[in-house]
Amino acid sequence: MTSVVPDEPVQGRQGHYAGAVTRLVAFGADVGASWGLFTVGAAALTFSIELVTGAKFSLTGHQLASLVALAMWEFLYFAYQWSLGGKTIGMAVLGIRVVRTDGMPIGPRQAVVRTLTLPLSFLLLGLGFIGILLNRDRHALHDRLAGTAVVYSWDARAARLRWLARRDTGAAA
Amino acid sequence: MGSYRHALAVCDPVGVSPMPGTGRLEQLAQAVAERVVTLVLDSIDMDELLSRVDVDAIVSKVDVDGLIDRVDVDKIVSRVDVEKIIDRVDVEKIIDRVDVEKIIDRVDVKKIIDRVDIDALIEQTELGTIIARSTSGVASEVLDVVRAQGVGLDDFIARWVNRVLRRSSTDWPVGPPALVGRPPPVAELTTGGR
Repeated sequence: MTSVVPDEPVQGRQGHYAGAVTRLVAFGADVGASWGLFTVGAAALTFSIELVTGAKFSLTGHQLASLVALAMWEFLYFAYQWSLGGKTIGMAVLGIRVVRTDGMPIGPRQAVVRTLTLPLSFLLLGLGFIGILLNRDRHALHDRLAGTAVVYSWDARAARLRWLARRDTGAAA
Repeated sequence: MGSYRHALAVCDPVGVSPMPGTGRLEQLAQAVAERVVTLVLDSIDMDELLSRVDVDAIVSKVDVDGLIDRVDVDKIVSRVDVEKIIDRVDVEKIIDRVDVEKIIDRVDVKKIIDRVDIDALIEQTELGTIIARSTSGVASEVLDVVRAQGVGLDDFIARWVNRVLRRSSTDWPVGPPALVGRPPPVAELTTGGR
Protein backbone atom coordinates (compact mmCIF):
# COMPACT_ATOMS: atom_id res chain seq x y z
CA MET A 1 0.00 0.00 0.00
CA THR A 2 1.22 3.45 -0.83
CA SER A 3 1.78 5.60 2.20
CA VAL A 4 0.26 9.02 2.06
CA VAL A 5 1.54 11.35 4.70
CA PRO A 6 -1.03 13.67 6.18
CA ASP A 7 -0.37 16.96 4.46
CA GLU A 8 0.79 20.03 6.29
CA PRO A 9 -2.66 21.69 6.24
CA VAL A 10 -4.21 18.60 7.80
CA GLN A 11 -2.13 18.93 10.94
CA GLY A 12 -3.32 20.64 14.07
CA ARG A 13 -7.02 20.31 13.26
CA GLN A 14 -8.08 18.60 16.47
CA GLY A 15 -11.12 20.48 17.78
CA HIS A 16 -11.77 22.29 14.51
CA TYR A 17 -15.19 22.10 12.85
CA ALA A 18 -15.39 19.04 10.63
CA GLY A 19 -16.12 19.51 6.95
CA ALA A 20 -18.86 18.19 4.73
CA VAL A 21 -16.99 15.31 3.08
CA THR A 22 -15.76 13.76 6.31
CA ARG A 23 -19.19 14.06 7.87
CA LEU A 24 -20.90 12.60 4.83
CA VAL A 25 -18.54 9.64 4.64
CA ALA A 26 -18.91 9.04 8.38
CA PHE A 27 -22.69 9.13 8.06
CA GLY A 28 -22.54 6.72 5.15
CA ALA A 29 -20.40 4.37 7.20
CA ASP A 30 -22.88 4.62 10.05
CA VAL A 31 -25.84 3.89 7.82
CA GLY A 32 -23.97 0.86 6.49
CA ALA A 33 -22.97 -0.30 9.96
CA SER A 34 -26.43 0.18 11.46
CA TRP A 35 -28.13 -1.55 8.55
CA GLY A 36 -25.64 -4.36 8.67
CA LEU A 37 -26.15 -4.85 12.37
CA PHE A 38 -29.93 -4.65 11.94
CA THR A 39 -29.82 -7.28 9.21
CA VAL A 40 -27.71 -9.57 11.36
CA GLY A 41 -30.09 -8.99 14.29
CA ALA A 42 -33.14 -9.65 12.12
CA ALA A 43 -31.57 -12.84 10.76
CA ALA A 44 -30.76 -13.97 14.29
CA LEU A 45 -34.33 -13.20 15.39
CA THR A 46 -35.82 -15.07 12.43
CA PHE A 47 -33.58 -18.04 13.10
CA SER A 48 -34.50 -18.03 16.81
CA ILE A 49 -38.23 -17.84 16.11
CA GLU A 50 -37.98 -20.66 13.59
CA LEU A 51 -35.96 -22.70 16.04
CA VAL A 52 -38.45 -22.20 18.87
CA THR A 53 -41.70 -22.49 16.90
CA GLY A 54 -40.48 -24.89 14.24
CA ALA A 55 -42.48 -22.91 11.69
CA LYS A 56 -41.24 -20.89 8.75
CA PHE A 57 -40.93 -17.20 9.66
CA SER A 58 -40.18 -14.16 7.52
CA LEU A 59 -40.00 -10.46 8.40
CA THR A 60 -41.32 -9.53 4.96
CA GLY A 61 -44.72 -10.47 6.23
CA HIS A 62 -44.40 -7.98 9.07
CA GLN A 63 -43.33 -4.89 7.21
CA LEU A 64 -44.80 -2.32 9.62
CA ALA A 65 -43.26 -4.06 12.60
CA SER A 66 -39.96 -4.29 10.76
CA LEU A 67 -40.11 -0.58 9.94
CA VAL A 68 -40.85 0.33 13.53
CA ALA A 69 -38.06 -1.96 14.72
CA LEU A 70 -35.69 -0.39 12.21
CA ALA A 71 -36.61 3.13 13.31
CA MET A 72 -36.13 2.17 16.95
CA TRP A 73 -32.83 0.52 16.17
CA GLU A 74 -31.56 3.56 14.26
CA PHE A 75 -32.60 5.80 17.13
CA LEU A 76 -30.79 3.57 19.62
CA TYR A 77 -27.75 3.26 17.39
CA PHE A 78 -27.17 6.99 17.09
CA ALA A 79 -28.55 8.28 20.41
CA TYR A 80 -26.77 5.71 22.55
CA GLN A 81 -23.40 6.16 20.88
CA TRP A 82 -23.57 9.95 20.83
CA SER A 83 -24.55 10.09 24.49
CA LEU A 84 -21.81 7.64 25.38
CA GLY A 85 -18.79 9.27 23.78
CA GLY A 86 -20.04 11.77 21.22
CA LYS A 87 -19.16 9.51 18.30
CA THR A 88 -20.66 6.66 16.34
CA ILE A 89 -18.71 3.87 14.65
CA GLY A 90 -18.51 5.82 11.39
CA MET A 91 -17.43 8.97 13.17
CA ALA A 92 -14.77 7.08 15.10
CA VAL A 93 -13.40 5.69 11.84
CA LEU A 94 -13.30 9.14 10.24
CA GLY A 95 -11.94 10.78 13.38
CA ILE A 96 -14.76 13.18 14.19
CA ARG A 97 -17.10 13.59 17.14
CA VAL A 98 -20.13 15.53 18.30
CA VAL A 99 -19.70 18.16 21.00
CA ARG A 100 -21.75 20.97 22.44
CA THR A 101 -21.51 24.30 20.65
CA ASP A 102 -19.11 25.48 23.33
CA GLY A 103 -16.92 22.42 22.83
CA MET A 104 -17.90 20.46 25.94
CA PRO A 105 -19.04 16.82 25.67
CA ILE A 106 -22.71 16.37 24.86
CA GLY A 107 -25.13 14.80 27.31
CA PRO A 108 -27.87 12.23 26.78
CA ARG A 109 -30.53 14.93 26.28
CA GLN A 110 -28.63 16.57 23.43
CA ALA A 111 -27.86 13.17 21.94
CA VAL A 112 -31.55 12.30 21.92
CA VAL A 113 -32.58 15.69 20.46
CA ARG A 114 -29.91 15.40 17.77
CA THR A 115 -31.05 11.91 16.84
CA LEU A 116 -34.72 12.93 16.69
CA THR A 117 -34.03 16.03 14.61
CA LEU A 118 -31.59 14.35 12.23
CA PRO A 119 -34.42 13.12 9.93
CA LEU A 120 -35.63 16.73 9.65
CA SER A 121 -32.50 17.62 7.71
CA PHE A 122 -33.45 14.92 5.20
CA LEU A 123 -37.13 15.71 5.10
CA LEU A 124 -36.42 19.28 3.95
CA LEU A 125 -34.98 17.90 0.71
CA GLY A 126 -31.57 17.74 2.30
CA LEU A 127 -31.53 21.49 2.82
CA GLY A 128 -30.90 20.91 6.50
CA PHE A 129 -27.37 19.85 5.61
CA ILE A 130 -26.59 22.91 3.52
CA GLY A 131 -25.48 24.70 6.66
CA ILE A 132 -22.43 22.42 6.83
CA LEU A 133 -21.24 24.08 3.64
CA LEU A 134 -22.45 27.62 4.20
CA ASN A 135 -22.39 28.35 7.94
CA ARG A 136 -19.27 29.68 9.57
CA ASP A 137 -19.55 27.03 12.31
CA ARG A 138 -20.62 24.30 9.85
CA HIS A 139 -23.89 23.64 11.67
CA ALA A 140 -26.51 21.45 10.05
CA LEU A 141 -30.16 21.97 10.97
CA HIS A 142 -30.12 19.17 13.54
CA ASP A 143 -26.93 20.62 15.03
CA ARG A 144 -28.66 23.98 15.39
CA LEU A 145 -31.70 22.42 17.04
CA ALA A 146 -29.70 20.23 19.41
CA GLY A 147 -27.03 22.83 20.19
CA THR A 148 -24.22 20.64 18.93
CA ALA A 149 -21.27 20.83 16.58
CA VAL A 150 -19.11 18.22 14.86
CA VAL A 151 -15.35 18.55 15.24
CA TYR A 152 -12.25 16.64 14.22
CA SER A 153 -11.07 14.44 17.06
CA TRP A 154 -8.36 12.81 15.02
CA ASP A 155 -4.81 13.58 16.10
CA ALA A 156 -3.20 14.32 12.75
CA ARG A 157 0.10 15.15 14.40
CA ALA A 158 0.33 11.65 15.84
CA ALA A 159 -0.58 10.25 12.43
CA ARG A 160 2.28 12.18 10.90
CA LEU A 161 4.65 10.79 13.51
CA ARG A 162 3.44 7.29 12.72
CA TRP A 163 3.99 7.92 9.04
CA LEU A 164 7.50 9.27 9.64
CA ALA A 165 8.28 6.31 11.88
CA ARG A 166 7.07 3.82 9.28
CA ARG A 167 9.02 5.58 6.55
CA ASP A 168 12.23 5.56 8.58
CA THR A 169 11.93 1.94 9.64
CA GLY A 170 11.05 0.98 6.06
CA ALA A 171 14.11 2.81 4.75
CA ALA A 172 16.31 1.15 7.38
CA ALA A 173 15.02 -2.30 6.38
CA MET B 1 60.02 68.05 57.33
CA GLY B 2 62.43 70.95 57.29
CA SER B 3 60.51 72.77 60.00
CA TYR B 4 60.48 69.59 62.08
CA ARG B 5 64.29 69.35 61.92
CA HIS B 6 64.50 73.02 62.70
CA ALA B 7 62.37 72.50 65.80
CA LEU B 8 64.65 69.65 66.90
CA ALA B 9 67.69 71.85 66.45
CA VAL B 10 66.11 74.53 68.58
CA CYS B 11 65.29 72.04 71.33
CA ASP B 12 68.81 70.62 71.37
CA PRO B 13 71.15 73.46 70.66
CA VAL B 14 74.14 71.91 72.42
CA GLY B 15 74.53 69.08 69.98
CA VAL B 16 75.90 66.43 72.36
CA SER B 17 74.72 63.56 70.31
CA PRO B 18 73.86 63.60 66.66
CA MET B 19 70.32 64.36 67.81
CA PRO B 20 70.28 64.16 71.60
CA GLY B 21 66.81 64.40 73.17
CA THR B 22 65.02 63.74 69.95
CA GLY B 23 63.78 60.36 71.16
CA ARG B 24 61.78 61.92 73.94
CA LEU B 25 60.59 64.69 71.70
CA GLU B 26 59.43 62.19 69.12
CA GLN B 27 57.55 60.26 71.78
CA LEU B 28 55.96 63.46 72.95
CA ALA B 29 55.05 64.47 69.42
CA GLN B 30 53.63 61.03 68.79
CA ALA B 31 51.53 61.15 71.95
CA VAL B 32 50.32 64.66 71.14
CA ALA B 33 49.48 63.67 67.59
CA GLU B 34 47.59 60.58 68.71
CA ARG B 35 45.66 62.61 71.26
CA VAL B 36 44.87 65.32 68.75
CA VAL B 37 43.76 62.84 66.16
CA THR B 38 41.57 61.05 68.70
CA LEU B 39 40.01 64.33 69.79
CA VAL B 40 39.42 65.39 66.21
CA LEU B 41 37.88 62.05 65.30
CA ASP B 42 35.69 62.08 68.41
CA SER B 43 34.44 65.52 67.57
CA ILE B 44 33.48 64.51 64.02
CA ASP B 45 29.93 63.30 63.50
CA MET B 46 30.57 60.62 60.90
CA ASP B 47 26.90 60.18 60.11
CA GLU B 48 26.56 63.88 59.47
CA LEU B 49 29.71 63.80 57.36
CA LEU B 50 28.53 60.85 55.30
CA SER B 51 25.09 62.34 54.83
CA ARG B 52 26.78 65.33 53.19
CA VAL B 53 28.71 63.13 50.79
CA ASP B 54 27.05 62.80 47.39
CA VAL B 55 27.75 59.13 46.78
CA ASP B 56 25.94 59.17 43.45
CA ALA B 57 28.21 61.91 42.20
CA ILE B 58 31.26 59.91 43.26
CA VAL B 59 29.99 56.73 41.69
CA SER B 60 29.10 58.53 38.49
CA LYS B 61 32.71 59.62 38.21
CA VAL B 62 33.95 56.07 38.52
CA ASP B 63 34.65 54.40 35.19
CA VAL B 64 33.18 51.01 36.03
CA ASP B 65 33.76 49.63 32.55
CA GLY B 66 37.37 50.68 32.69
CA LEU B 67 37.64 49.11 36.10
CA ILE B 68 36.16 45.86 34.86
CA ASP B 69 38.40 45.91 31.79
CA ARG B 70 41.39 46.02 34.04
CA VAL B 71 40.24 42.99 35.99
CA ASP B 72 41.63 39.73 34.66
CA VAL B 73 38.59 37.56 35.26
CA ASP B 74 40.24 34.48 33.78
CA LYS B 75 43.05 34.80 36.27
CA ILE B 76 40.60 35.09 39.13
CA VAL B 77 38.55 32.17 37.92
CA SER B 78 41.65 30.04 37.40
CA ARG B 79 42.50 30.57 41.04
CA VAL B 80 39.08 29.46 42.21
CA ASP B 81 38.88 25.87 43.32
CA VAL B 82 35.42 25.08 41.99
CA GLU B 83 35.49 21.52 43.30
CA LYS B 84 36.16 22.80 46.79
CA ILE B 85 33.30 25.29 46.52
CA ILE B 86 30.95 22.62 45.27
CA ASP B 87 31.97 20.35 48.11
CA ARG B 88 31.02 23.05 50.55
CA VAL B 89 27.63 23.67 48.95
CA ASP B 90 24.73 21.88 50.58
CA VAL B 91 22.75 21.10 47.46
CA GLU B 92 19.99 19.39 49.39
CA LYS B 93 19.44 22.54 51.40
CA ILE B 94 19.27 24.65 48.25
CA ILE B 95 16.82 22.28 46.59
CA ASP B 96 14.64 22.33 49.69
CA ARG B 97 14.42 26.07 49.39
CA VAL B 98 13.45 25.98 45.71
CA ASP B 99 9.74 26.17 44.95
CA VAL B 100 9.68 23.72 42.05
CA GLU B 101 5.95 24.15 41.47
CA LYS B 102 6.43 27.86 41.00
CA ILE B 103 9.22 27.28 38.50
CA ILE B 104 7.16 24.73 36.56
CA ASP B 105 4.23 27.14 36.47
CA ARG B 106 6.47 29.72 34.84
CA VAL B 107 7.74 27.32 32.19
CA ASP B 108 5.84 27.46 28.91
CA VAL B 109 6.02 23.77 28.00
CA LYS B 110 4.04 24.29 24.80
CA LYS B 111 6.61 26.80 23.61
CA ILE B 112 9.42 24.37 24.35
CA ILE B 113 7.68 21.53 22.53
CA ASP B 114 6.99 23.79 19.55
CA ARG B 115 10.71 24.45 19.32
CA VAL B 116 11.51 20.75 19.16
CA ASP B 117 11.96 19.45 15.63
CA ILE B 118 9.97 16.25 16.08
CA ASP B 119 10.66 15.10 12.52
CA ALA B 120 14.40 15.37 13.04
CA LEU B 121 14.10 13.73 16.44
CA ILE B 122 12.39 10.71 14.95
CA GLU B 123 14.83 10.49 12.08
CA GLN B 124 17.92 10.75 14.26
CA THR B 125 16.92 8.57 17.17
CA GLU B 126 15.44 5.17 17.86
CA LEU B 127 12.14 6.89 18.62
CA GLY B 128 10.90 6.15 15.12
CA THR B 129 11.37 2.44 15.58
CA ILE B 130 9.62 2.54 18.91
CA ILE B 131 6.64 4.42 17.49
CA ALA B 132 6.49 2.13 14.48
CA ARG B 133 6.49 -0.95 16.72
CA SER B 134 3.81 0.45 18.99
CA THR B 135 1.53 1.58 16.17
CA SER B 136 2.25 -0.93 13.48
CA GLY B 137 -0.58 -2.34 11.46
CA VAL B 138 -2.18 -1.73 8.14
CA ALA B 139 -5.43 -0.66 9.80
CA SER B 140 -3.95 2.39 11.45
CA GLU B 141 -2.20 3.33 8.22
CA VAL B 142 -5.44 3.01 6.25
CA LEU B 143 -7.27 5.09 8.84
CA ASP B 144 -4.62 7.80 8.71
CA VAL B 145 -4.85 7.94 4.94
CA VAL B 146 -8.66 7.97 4.81
CA ARG B 147 -8.86 10.68 7.44
CA ALA B 148 -6.17 12.78 5.80
CA GLN B 149 -7.90 12.52 2.45
CA GLY B 150 -11.21 13.41 4.10
CA VAL B 151 -9.79 16.54 5.68
CA GLY B 152 -8.13 17.48 2.40
CA LEU B 153 -11.44 17.15 0.56
CA ASP B 154 -13.22 19.13 3.29
CA ASP B 155 -10.80 21.98 2.73
CA PHE B 156 -11.13 21.70 -1.01
CA ILE B 157 -14.96 21.91 -0.87
CA ALA B 158 -14.90 24.74 1.68
CA ARG B 159 -12.46 26.70 -0.47
CA TRP B 160 -14.63 26.34 -3.54
CA VAL B 161 -17.82 27.26 -1.70
CA ASN B 162 -16.12 30.40 -0.41
CA ARG B 163 -14.85 31.18 -3.88
CA VAL B 164 -18.30 30.79 -5.41
CA LEU B 165 -19.89 32.91 -2.70
CA ARG B 166 -17.01 35.39 -2.97
CA ARG B 167 -16.35 35.53 0.73
CA SER B 168 -13.37 35.14 3.01
CA SER B 169 -13.37 32.73 5.91
CA THR B 170 -10.18 33.94 7.52
CA ASP B 171 -11.95 35.61 10.44
CA TRP B 172 -14.28 32.67 11.08
CA PRO B 173 -14.00 30.59 14.23
CA VAL B 174 -12.18 27.33 13.49
CA GLY B 175 -13.85 25.42 16.29
CA PRO B 176 -15.81 25.64 19.55
CA PRO B 177 -14.20 27.97 22.12
CA ALA B 178 -13.48 25.24 24.67
CA LEU B 179 -11.52 23.23 22.11
CA VAL B 180 -9.58 25.85 20.21
CA GLY B 181 -9.57 28.75 22.65
CA ARG B 182 -9.15 31.98 20.80
CA PRO B 183 -9.55 32.25 17.03
CA PRO B 184 -6.11 31.74 15.49
CA PRO B 185 -4.42 34.44 13.44
CA VAL B 186 -4.86 34.45 9.68
CA ALA B 187 -1.35 33.13 9.03
CA GLU B 188 -2.05 30.07 11.16
CA LEU B 189 -5.18 29.26 9.17
CA THR B 190 -3.44 29.41 5.86
CA THR B 191 -0.61 27.16 7.01
CA GLY B 192 -2.85 24.60 8.65
CA GLY B 193 -2.21 25.57 12.22
CA ARG B 194 1.51 24.94 12.24
